[in-house]
Amino acid sequence: MPLDTSAYNLALLRVDGRRWNELRRIHAQIRTQPAADGSSYLEMGHTKVMCVVTGPSESGARRVGTTGGAAAGALGSGGGGSRDGDAEVVVSVVLAGFSSVDRKRRGRNDKGILELQSTISSALSSSLHTHLYPRSTISISLHVLSQDGSLLAALLNAATLACIDAGIAMTDYVAACTAGSTSTYAANDEKADPLLDMNHQEEQELPGLTVATLGQSDRVIVLVCESRVQVSRLEGMLAVGVDGCKQVRDIMDKVVREKGRRMLEEGAIEKGVGLEDMDLD
Amino acid sequence: MASLKRSLDRDPLAASISSKVYVRSTKSGKVQKIVREVYLRRDIPCSSKLCQSCLQAAPRDAAGRPIPFVLSDKPAGTSKFPQGHYLVPDTNAFLNAMDLFEQASAFYDVVVLQVVLEEVRNRSLPLYNRLISLTKSEEKRFYVFFNEFRLETHVARLEGESVNDRNDRAVRKATKWYSEHLARTKAKKVPAVVMLSNDRDNLRKARDEGIPACSMSEYVKQLKDGDRLLDLIPESEEGEFTKEKRTGENLYPEYFTMSKMMTGVKAGLLHQGTFNVSPYNYLEGSIRVPAFPKSLIILGRENINRAIDGDLVVVEILPKDQWKSPSTKVIEEDAVTKNENPDAEVGEDFVSEKERKALQEEVKRTQSKTTEGHAQPTAKVVGVIKRNWRQYVGHIDQSSVSQSGQGRKQDTVFVIPMDKKIPKIRLRTRQVAELVGKRILVAIDAWDRGSRHPSGHFIRSLGELETKAAETEALLLEYDVQYRPFPKTVLDCLPQEGHGWKVPESTDDAGWRDRADLRDLLICSIDPIGCQDIDDALHSRPLPNGNVEVGVHIADVSHFVKPNNAMDMEASVRGTTVYLVDKRIDMLPMLLGTDLCSLKPYVERYAFSVIWELSPDADIVNVRFTKSVIKSREAFSYEQAQLRVDDASQQDELTLSIRTLLELSKKLKQRRIEAGALSLSSPEVKVQMESETSDPIDVKTKEHLATMSLVEEFMLLANTTVAAKIYDAFPQTAILRRHGAPPKTNFDELANQLKVKKGMELSIESSRALADSLDTCVDPKEPFFNTLIRIMATRCMMAAEYFCSGTQAYDDFRHYGLASEIYTHFTSPIRRYADLVAHRQLAAAIEYEPVHPSVRSRGRLEAVCKNINVRHRNAQLAGRASIAYYVGQSLRGKATEEDGFVIKIFSNGFVVLVPRFGIESLIRLRDIAEPEPEATFDAENYVLTTAGSREVRVELFQKVRVKVTDQKDEATGKRGVKMELIRTL
Ligand SMILES: [Zn+2]
Repeated sequence: MPLDTSAYNLALLRVDGRRWNELRRIHAQIRTQPAADGSSYLEMGHTKVMCVVTGPSESGARRVGTTGGAAAGALGSGGGGSRDGDAEVVVSVVLAGFSSVDRKRRGRNDKGILELQSTISSALSSSLHTHLYPRSTISISLHVLSQDGSLLAALLNAATLACIDAGIAMTDYVAACTAGSTSTYAANDEKADPLLDMNHQEEQELPGLTVATLGQSDRVIVLVCESRVQVSRLEGMLAVGVDGCKQVRDIMDKVVREKGRRMLEEGAIEKGVGLEDMDLD
Repeated sequence: MASLKRSLDRDPLAASISSKVYVRSTKSGKVQKIVREVYLRRDIPCSSKLCQSCLQAAPRDAAGRPIPFVLSDKPAGTSKFPQGHYLVPDTNAFLNAMDLFEQASAFYDVVVLQVVLEEVRNRSLPLYNRLISLTKSEEKRFYVFFNEFRLETHVARLEGESVNDRNDRAVRKATKWYSEHLARTKAKKVPAVVMLSNDRDNLRKARDEGIPACSMSEYVKQLKDGDRLLDLIPESEEGEFTKEKRTGENLYPEYFTMSKMMTGVKAGLLHQGTFNVSPYNYLEGSIRVPAFPKSLIILGRENINRAIDGDLVVVEILPKDQWKSPSTKVIEEDAVTKNENPDAEVGEDFVSEKERKALQEEVKRTQSKTTEGHAQPTAKVVGVIKRNWRQYVGHIDQSSVSQSGQGRKQDTVFVIPMDKKIPKIRLRTRQVAELVGKRILVAIDAWDRGSRHPSGHFIRSLGELETKAAETEALLLEYDVQYRPFPKTVLDCLPQEGHGWKVPESTDDAGWRDRADLRDLLICSIDPIGCQDIDDALHSRPLPNGNVEVGVHIADVSHFVKPNNAMDMEASVRGTTVYLVDKRIDMLPMLLGTDLCSLKPYVERYAFSVIWELSPDADIVNVRFTKSVIKSREAFSYEQAQLRVDDASQQDELTLSIRTLLELSKKLKQRRIEAGALSLSSPEVKVQMESETSDPIDVKTKEHLATMSLVEEFMLLANTTVAAKIYDAFPQTAILRRHGAPPKTNFDELANQLKVKKGMELSIESSRALADSLDTCVDPKEPFFNTLIRIMATRCMMAAEYFCSGTQAYDDFRHYGLASEIYTHFTSPIRRYADLVAHRQLAAAIEYEPVHPSVRSRGRLEAVCKNINVRHRNAQLAGRASIAYYVGQSLRGKATEEDGFVIKIFSNGFVVLVPRFGIESLIRLRDIAEPEPEATFDAENYVLTTAGSREVRVELFQKVRVKVTDQKDEATGKRGVKMELIRTL
């Protein structure tokens, strides 16, 4: 087995060979399921997720497909945008049994999954213009194929891309990533470096948080920290995380523009369907 | 159709991303496949001060600080590499010869490859930690090069290639890269980069590829003091080269594979446990496994199969017809295997004729006996899960030294460890002449099937046998006591004022925050004579309502020792202060222990106080905890306090308050005894030293005074009160101390002995029942008999242990010996680390200070408990060994006659305990008379009757008159006590 995270100080290298401020490789695609309203596929390192968006559709047809049960769960946990007249954002997350090392199946009512769903739902509601789609439902269905840390961040990014693909009006990208710290809480090391984009091993051994910002701005719309960490380290972690979000946003933006350019070339879209102002270099 | 399929070739980053696949099996036996990403890069520096290009691209941490470069620009040369060199050792070089790398005379500028570091970590955590501390030492210049992350040195495993071959290849590739990389620096003298390995194949391949490579011994020979260092090269390495020559004669059965053992243990066919050697018979071991109530016996060299005391082994139960009762015969290794030739091992019979004879008699005896009930299951060792080898102190067996040629050629000799449970170790050395007659430190390297004894290597000499310096260091090493002076980083944590530190005069000072001012109270301390580290002090005063206020004030060590600083770390490693007869090895620096923390009289000190309101019947009405400032009025010795209490003319307030405390303590003690607290005994003696020469002049058994009970009772009360409080505040992470109820079988033998010999019953249903039945074990003619039984009962007990409250159910918190539901250590923070942790937890519980993360991290606390449990035990053993040594010294050249008691009996000897010296010793039949008398042994009735050259009848518990002299034990090289039987009484 490789060394653990305590080896960082030997050469300022993390367990997978990255420096403290480096993202893992991000690979993303949109329109992966042409039959769906919107779809995406996203990899952050070995964390791999797929997303399909259905809607906005009329509320009566809310329980479409196989995602109904989980959607109800998300509703129960107070999915965002359920204010009268606004579109409802219903999120379902399914973790494939083979996605993690221990291959444990997690039920739909698993607390962790319910929380993921509710976090994603409220995060996207704050960027999507739900008031434009009254009495309708936007259903986001996420499938996790492989897990290697930063799961919530990957899910948020994939959902954003799929919503863009579905053409739902939104303020800006919701870009997310994780940040951690190079030594444990108990070590109480004041000089610990912050870390960007944690993998599974780092999440197991070190404190960390997930942060999402709205586009290029510094507006933090998601901040989840489930581990114990000294307040003094938090500022550094947050700064690195917000900076990471901007990098993630640029990567996603490139993916969207590239896809758009290719679709225009292939004639898949007529020019002038609201795309004329798009800067296609 | 869009597709998720994509080719990685198009990805510009693809070339620099690789993944590693591991397979690991979990504790429950599941196999997991783990895939890890690896990011390859070009900015990992070589860390040589010669290299400018790496220096410019040096990585920086978040604060922008670059990592300093490690490898010298003028590395030392050897005869073969005069231009200077860097070393790149492979995994086995570190695993086999870590001692060499730690030498101060050589082994500088070493590149530790990531692949090697990972392998070392997988193979041995202690060695990994030693290697890490080498990389942190600035003098040694060890640099960890992450070869697996550097694009040029990353090596992917080829199809069909074994992991070992792949790792060897990675080492060669990294070595080669270093050479080429340094050649580009255009330095005037480019150092050679030398691979160190003991693997022939790897060496050959390296040479084929043009990489400079040496085996350990080839390399060491190039050094200046090569001869001395050669001895440090472990035996196994040379074995590596000679193995092929050796004929396939294997003396021991082969070990099972790890997976076979695991499957067997899971299926219940095999059993796993810690191997213990009998102190009286080196060919008998025992192992406790959950499946059997009694421990399993492992008899004979072949069944023991190379297990050494403390190893974690797997055993297989032998068929029922081979079950035996535990040995009743003393068999000592030195007597049986004397004059064995360490060189000529091969070809000799494996189990020597003498050993066979010794064991045969055993078997005959047990098989002729019809009493099936006594037979205990026997087992044989089929494999070792984890060796518990450490470094051993011993001396060279004079009889194994060859008399011919005293040149510097390599000799093979035996080393006899001080610890009798460790078999003798075969050692090859070029310096026999210098080492004979010295205390030496050795390590065991291996024990292969072809060799009767384990083989090891020499580490260093401690000095002449029997000199005080060498024997004291030997003792400290044997019990793993950290005795080096405190490093500067620790001393830097002390208050800058030094001895001039004072409690601030102004009560507005930050130090006074939330402290009660108790300077007006009549507080005093009562300790043994000459006590310098005064942990505790007491006071009492009557209250208007007829109750009494009692305070226990403990040195406020946590004020001076802050969590996680260097001093705290050092104290947590040391765990406890160790008291030897003539020496104290402190847990905390002297300045704190004997001055600033110590509750000395007449000066103001910070304290942590527990203050109760007690009713006249010693019931607790209420209690409060507070940090405080006190001023002790007097530091009494137990004797002084006793005199003062007993002297009716003394009517001052202080004496009256001590008398009140004494009355209350008697009530407290009575209550504990009613609850079932045990009064156990261990032979305690005190060595009186001549102060000028520090030579022992006399030995005295410790006297018990009422004032000792006084202090003890209030300390127990404080400990239990604090335990309840911190458990209430931190249900998951309170540091507590428990004492498990002993398993019933522990008392089987003692109960049977009492029944057969004295017609007494020992009942052990509860601690109360045990305490009561111990009280009835009285021999009117022999006042010491009751104490003797208590000493023997103590040895049947479990050891008390520290634990973290979240790891046990509440019912298991019980302290059996004290009959207390919950208990901790709070009253001696100067000398015990557990107490310091309890102080921090109590301070947080009363909201004096915020909770520090380290005192509520369960993982951290569990590690602390594990360490201090071991340290605590070792400190006790070291203390006892020190007393035994000095008792021997005080008897030197004198012969005294003493009364003793037979506490254990064998078919060829018996053990006598002499209470006056608190020592016990084995008297063998062959010591009784010359020639050895015939003997008949009645195991049922514990009677040994001799006939022939001397006729005596010895039975268990019997009082005997013995002559006590001192004698150098040929076997262990220790000076110790020898007893001769004068007559039975
Ligand atoms: Zn370089």
